[in-house]
Amino acid sequence: MTAILEARGLHKRFGGLAAVADVDLAIEDGEIHCLIGPNGAGKSTLFKLLLGTYDPSAGRVMFQGVDVTRQKPFERVLHGMSIKMQVPSVFRDLPVSQNLVIALQRRLPRTGIEAEMRRLLALLELEEQAGKPAGELSHGQQQWLEIGMALALQPRLLLLDEPTAGMSTDETFRTGELIQRLNASGMTILVVEHDMAFIRQIAQRVTVLHLGRVFAQDSIDRIIADPRVAEIYLGKTDVD
Amino acid sequence: MRDRLQALNGPQTLGNGRAFWISFAVVLAGALIYPAWADPYDVGNSAYFLIWIFMALGLSLMWGYTGILSFGQTAFFGIAGYGYGVIAINIGASGGLTFVALLCAVSLAAVSAAVLGYFMIYGRVGGVFFGIVTFATTLALAAFLHQTAGPEWAIGKARLNGFNGMGGMSPLELPWFGGPIYLEDTALYYFVLLLLLAVYLGLRLLVNGRFGNVLVAIREDPLRAELLGYDVRKFQLAAFVIGSALAGLSGVLYTAWGQFITPASMGLPAAAMPIIWVAFSGRSDLTATLVGTFTLLLAFQTITIYSQQYALILMGAVLLATVLFMPTGLMVEIGRLIRRLHARATAGPAP
Amino acid sequence: MFAEIFSILFQFADVFAFLVLAAAGLAIIFGMMGIINLAHGEFITCGIYVTVAGVQQGLPLPVAQALGALTAGIIGVILERTVIHRLYNRPLDSILATWGISLIVTQGMLVTLGSSWAGIGTPEGSFQVGEYTFSSYRLVLFAAAVLVMLALYLLFMRTRYGVLARATMQNPQMARALGVRTPWIYATSFGVGAALAGLCGALYAPTMTLIPTMGITFIVEAFVTVVVGGANVLIGTVPAAMVLGAIRTALNAWQGQIIGQIGMLIAVILVIRVLPEGVSGWLLRRNR
Repeated sequence: MTAILEARGLHKRFGGLAAVADVDLAIEDGEIHCLIGPNGAGKSTLFKLLLGTYDPSAGRVMFQGVDVTRQKPFERVLHGMSIKMQVPSVFRDLPVSQNLVIALQRRLPRTGIEAEMRRLLALLELEEQAGKPAGELSHGQQQWLEIGMALALQPRLLLLDEPTAGMSTDETFRTGELIQRLNASGMTILVVEHDMAFIRQIAQRVTVLHLGRVFAQDSIDRIIADPRVAEIYLGKTDVD
Repeated sequence: MRDRLQALNGPQTLGNGRAFWISFAVVLAGALIYPAWADPYDVGNSAYFLIWIFMALGLSLMWGYTGILSFGQTAFFGIAGYGYGVIAINIGASGGLTFVALLCAVSLAAVSAAVLGYFMIYGRVGGVFFGIVTFATTLALAAFLHQTAGPEWAIGKARLNGFNGMGGMSPLELPWFGGPIYLEDTALYYFVLLLLLAVYLGLRLLVNGRFGNVLVAIREDPLRAELLGYDVRKFQLAAFVIGSALAGLSGVLYTAWGQFITPASMGLPAAAMPIIWVAFSGRSDLTATLVGTFTLLLAFQTITIYSQQYALILMGAVLLATVLFMPTGLMVEIGRLIRRLHARATAGPAP
Repeated sequence: MFAEIFSILFQFADVFAFLVLAAAGLAIIFGMMGIINLAHGEFITCGIYVTVAGVQQGLPLPVAQALGALTAGIIGVILERTVIHRLYNRPLDSILATWGISLIVTQGMLVTLGSSWAGIGTPEGSFQVGEYTFSSYRLVLFAAAVLVMLALYLLFMRTRYGVLARATMQNPQMARALGVRTPWIYATSFGVGAALAGLCGALYAPTMTLIPTMGITFIVEAFVTVVVGGANVLIGTVPAAMVLGAIRTALNAWQGQIIGQIGMLIAVILVIRVLPEGVSGWLLRRNR
């Protein structure tokens, strides 16, 4: 397998504090990769470096073999990345259907948009809410809508930052199923998550971030079995 | 054809239904036959009201649809107005050259907006600062032109004339069989009316199409729009340039109407006027902006006859009251009310 | 030679004082609440008129000036309590509200006070360096600008109000949760900002001809200084005024006042391309 997204020696400093230090990360083409770590591990910063809302202090980001370190987020999106942010960011005053149209219209001609929008509404189980302003949806539904918008771009790589935050157990499980279905159809997916049950449901490989550095990287089963990982999650930071 | 017409309607405009377009046709017909029975002087005055609406529509596009608020649209009004004056005075007006002057002057406003906009939008200056810098720009331009009274301040044959303003440019002139038509009074009224119709319909097409979808997306959440693959800054700049070109169009028409322009048109209180019209009307809808701006101009002019100060105090009060009591704008609220009543009437009594 | 250098420094100090005094009140209100007070010019005008009226009633100039600042401050607090505080969650709307107020006040003054008043004349006194004569009052203005910045520093760093105000500025929710009466802080800060605008007017009152629209003379300079300085008055305003003052002094000497003003504006547009959050935003980011 080849890496679709690679970080090489990524550093991000804020003043004197290194939020991300010397991170090497390779997301293989076709996998579901989870990025985990306790609060303050640097997950969000790393995520922002990958999608381009932060510029790294040092290091490079490669996407499909191209150096995208200096590229703006929209350029990375045009190359086949798609992103769902942690806090649901949908166009709150616009109807659900228009949210999807805005996501679809760059890729599709006018005649194709309507059908694709219906398909996505069905997939997201939001048919009945199509005419409502997106801001009136429940928190979980907003998360789904945003995932739907990210999917509308038909990305090669989907980046999800805590996609299940604020979802019920049932919604979380269905999100997991959706992610697995997407992956089965050939999409590479990187998920930043807290929820270990959810990670167990979906993950193939896991990278553990701790104090801004890569602490461990392995298959999900071995990560779960690793006592050192359990320890940093329990708050003991003095591990070798 | 049906499809084309359908593209005028969409989520970004309040009035889309049959009832709206029927009222639209009635108002347009009324505007078209109005000169038949009105005094030519009044017709000329009505043309004067219509002239300002372009600037208001441009501001609505920028502020209401894209979420960038400029406090200095009068800068582009003035740049184009003076630009028109300089070109018209220097190259004259025969054989439709005034239209060349019009186009050049509007382009001058658009280019100025592109340069200023580039520095601000690409420097990620947003919100409040965007307003302040555009505001400072228009005030500085006004101050600059204010002190150009001396004879050394001339471009070709055109004297800038300081605070007295530049005058003596020819009116717009339409080349026609058997002698040109000077666009004054009734002829100007028809010209401006048709131009306004074209701009209004054009903007409707624009905002209800793909471009408009991206603009409202940027207004709602710029980061999300960027993460859908849109170059947000390019769209913001485009909206700013279009809005400013429309302000420039107002400036040219105003200068051609009165054959006169002064620095006061860029200073205070002039700079506040577009904001007041658009805020009062409801920035999020083109039709509301059009109707509201016309109404306010009419009211303002009526009071100005008695006292300009009182008219301006009223405008200040309108702005304050709008912000405090009806931030979405009076005309938009009325539009929404009509839509609700209409929906209720067609759906039968509510259960 | 010394005289020439002194003359340039003197002109720089004059521009610097003007920028600092014109901008301080605006910067405080912006820093605290994120609002650009478009009625800033009217507060300055208020300071001017009260000062002139006071002197014409026979008050000594400094007393009249203090009265001018105080009046503007009180009006500021009243305005905050009646209008501005309703709009804190809508900063752009609150700016528009101040613009509406500005229009009403300017035109109202034109109606009630007429178009111009007799001025009171600059206090006499001059001194000589080499072949040049300088007005002493200009030195007073420079000293006042320095004192205002010092006073603001002490106010924000050494008083209880300052601590609470800085806390509110950094995180209003947290400050509220800790029991800070933020509405009181906002009203006071708006009052302090207005009073400083009034003080600016009061200090320049003797040097100007009086017309109700004179606030406009100050606001372009005030705005650009705040734009360049950014949201923190303590660390942004002085460097911004120094940079802009230097540009302005050089251009004034070279091409005259109006080119100075336009050149300054162009410099501002160039600066914000690089430092969109102003000098203070840049300094804070660097030290974070």
